[in-house]
Amino acid sequence: MRARAIFVIFLLSILLAASATLRMLITRDVDGSITLVFPEEQYFLYRIVPLVAALIVGAGLGVSGMGLQVLLRNPLASPWILGLSSGAGLGVMSNLYFDYTYGMSFIGSQSIAAVIGAIVALSLVYVLSRRRGGIDPMTMVLVGVVISVLCGAGIMILQHAVPMGLRGAFTTWLMGSLPEVESWGKLSILGGITLIGIVIIAWWGPTLDAACLSDDEATSVGVDLPGIRRKLFITSSVLAAIGVILAGPIAFVGLIAPHGARLLLSGSHRILTITSALCGALLLICADDIRQLVDLGSGRLPIGIVTSVFGGVVFLVLLLRGRGRI
Amino acid sequence: MRLHVSDVGVRFGKITALRSVHASADGGKVIAVLGPNASGKTTLLRTIAGLQSPSSGKVELDGIRVNAMSPHDRASKISWVPRIAEVAGSFTIRRVVELGRFALGPSQSRVDDALSKVDLLDRSESLWHTASAGMRQRAALARALAQRTPGGLIVLDEPSSALDLHHLQTMGDLLRNCALDGDIVIAALHDIGFAMEIADEVLVLKEGQIVLAGQTKAVLTPSSLGGVFGVDLTWATDESGKQHLVTP
Repeated sequence: MRARAIFVIFLLSILLAASATLRMLITRDVDGSITLVFPEEQYFLYRIVPLVAALIVGAGLGVSGMGLQVLLRNPLASPWILGLSSGAGLGVMSNLYFDYTYGMSFIGSQSIAAVIGAIVALSLVYVLSRRRGGIDPMTMVLVGVVISVLCGAGIMILQHAVPMGLRGAFTTWLMGSLPEVESWGKLSILGGITLIGIVIIAWWGPTLDAACLSDDEATSVGVDLPGIRRKLFITSSVLAAIGVILAGPIAFVGLIAPHGARLLLSGSHRILTITSALCGALLLICADDIRQLVDLGSGRLPIGIVTSVFGGVVFLVLLLRGRGRI
Repeated sequence: MRLHVSDVGVRFGKITALRSVHASADGGKVIAVLGPNASGKTTLLRTIAGLQSPSSGKVELDGIRVNAMSPHDRASKISWVPRIAEVAGSFTIRRVVELGRFALGPSQSRVDDALSKVDLLDRSESLWHTASAGMRQRAALARALAQRTPGGLIVLDEPSSALDLHHLQTMGDLLRNCALDGDIVIAALHDIGFAMEIADEVLVLKEGQIVLAGQTKAVLTPSSLGGVFGVDLTWATDESGKQHLVTP
C-alpha cells in the first residue's frame, strides 16, 4: 500500500510538472495559431503568476472539498455546492462595494470578508440541514444550493448598485479567473496559509479516518467529534475562501479532486489529503491549459467556465450513480 | 469493574425513551437486554456506553460517570458494537478494525488476533463496501475485541441479526470468553434462544422501563416473556434435552 501511495504521488507530481510546463509554453500568436515557446522576459510574469495562483487555489480547493466530505459525511459536498464559494464571493463583493461607495476598506479586508462569508454560509447550511439531531446528505446539498442562490442574488444586487463601468469587472470576477497580475507578497501569504492548512489536515488524517465511522462508533473509539468537526469546519472554510480571494468562485474542483484522489488510492486520509491537493492543482492547471487553447472569437474563456463544464458532467455522474462513497 | 445505572431517564423532546431505570452489574457477567421494538433498548445501551447523555440520573463505571470521561478514558474502558456498522470512506476491513485502536495506540497483533477470532483474517484486505452484512457485523465485533481492555465493558446493540449459525455460535463463545476475562458484556438481543445460551442475567424493557430483571433462567419463562411481548409462548425440548421458548 505504501509503495502504491508513493507511486501515485510521484505520478501526480510528474503530471503536475508537465501541465505546468505546458502552461508556461503555450503561446497564442496574433493570427490565432498556437505555438509552444518559452515566454519572453516581459511576458514571463504573466505566465508564472497565474500558474502559482492555480497551484494554491487548486490544492486548497481539493483539500477543502475532501475535508467537507468527511465533515459532512457527504460525497457530494464541496465548497461550491455547499455555498462556501458563493458566501466568500458575497463577502468579497460586499468589500468591493463598500470600498467603492464609502471608501471603507483596509489591507486584508477583502480576505477577511471572504473568510467570514465562507464561514457564515457553511454555518447556515450546517444548521439548516439538521434533522432530528443528524444531517441528511440530500437536504444538505439542497440547502447548499439555496444558500448559493441567495448569495448569488446578494452579489447581483451589489453588482446592480455599482456604476455601469464596474459591472463588467464584477461579471468577469464572478466567472472565476486566475490573476495574471498579483503581488508576490499576497501570493506568498495566501500560499503559506494554504500550505499550513493542508499540512494541518494531513496531520489530522488518522482522526479523519475514524471520523468516517458513524457518530456513535467514532465517539466510542475515542474521537472528539465536536472538536475535530469544529477545526475541520474552520480550516476547510479558510482554504475555500483563499481560492475565492485569488480566483473568484471556481466551481467543482473541490468536488472532483477528492473523488479523483480516492479513485487512485483508498484508505488513509493522511495520504488522501496530499493526493487531493495534487489532484486539485493538476485539475486547475489542466483547465488553464485548455483555456489557453480555446478561443471562441471573444478571447480566452474564463477558467471558471472550463471547470464548470467539466465538473458539471462529473457531478451529474456522481449524483446519478447515487452511491458515492466518502 | 462495577457498572451502576441509577434512576436514568432519557427524553427526546416530548418523547420519553427511558424512565427511572436502575441496574447494576459486576465484571464477569453477560447481560442480555430484551424487549419489544421501541422499548428503549438501544437508548439504554447508548446511555450506558456514554454515547447518550441521560436527561436524569447517572451511569457510573467504578464510581466515574461515563459521560464525563475523556474520549481516551472512555475508549479504554468501553467498547461499542453497533447494530449496523457504518463506514463512509474507502477502507479495507482491516483498517476498520484497526480504528478500534485509534485512541489506545496501534497494535498489529491485537488486530490480527481479533480478525482471526471472527474468521476475517483472510478477507481483511477486502474493501468495506464489498463486505456482506454478516461480515460487517463480525468486523464490528473484531474492532471491539481489538479495542477492549480486559476487565472493561463491552456494549453490543443487536450484534447478531445478520450472522449465520456458525458465526452466531462463535460470537457467543467470544462474548463468554470476554466475561471470563472479567468484562461486563451487555447486549441487546432479539434472539431469545441466543440470550438463553450466553446470558447470565437478563433485563427486559417495555415502554422505556425495566419490567423484568434477574437470572436468565428465572426471567425467561413462557408466562413472563409472553406477557411482555403479547404472544403465547411455551417450552419445547429438542433431541439433546435442551429447552427452548417457542410459539405453540
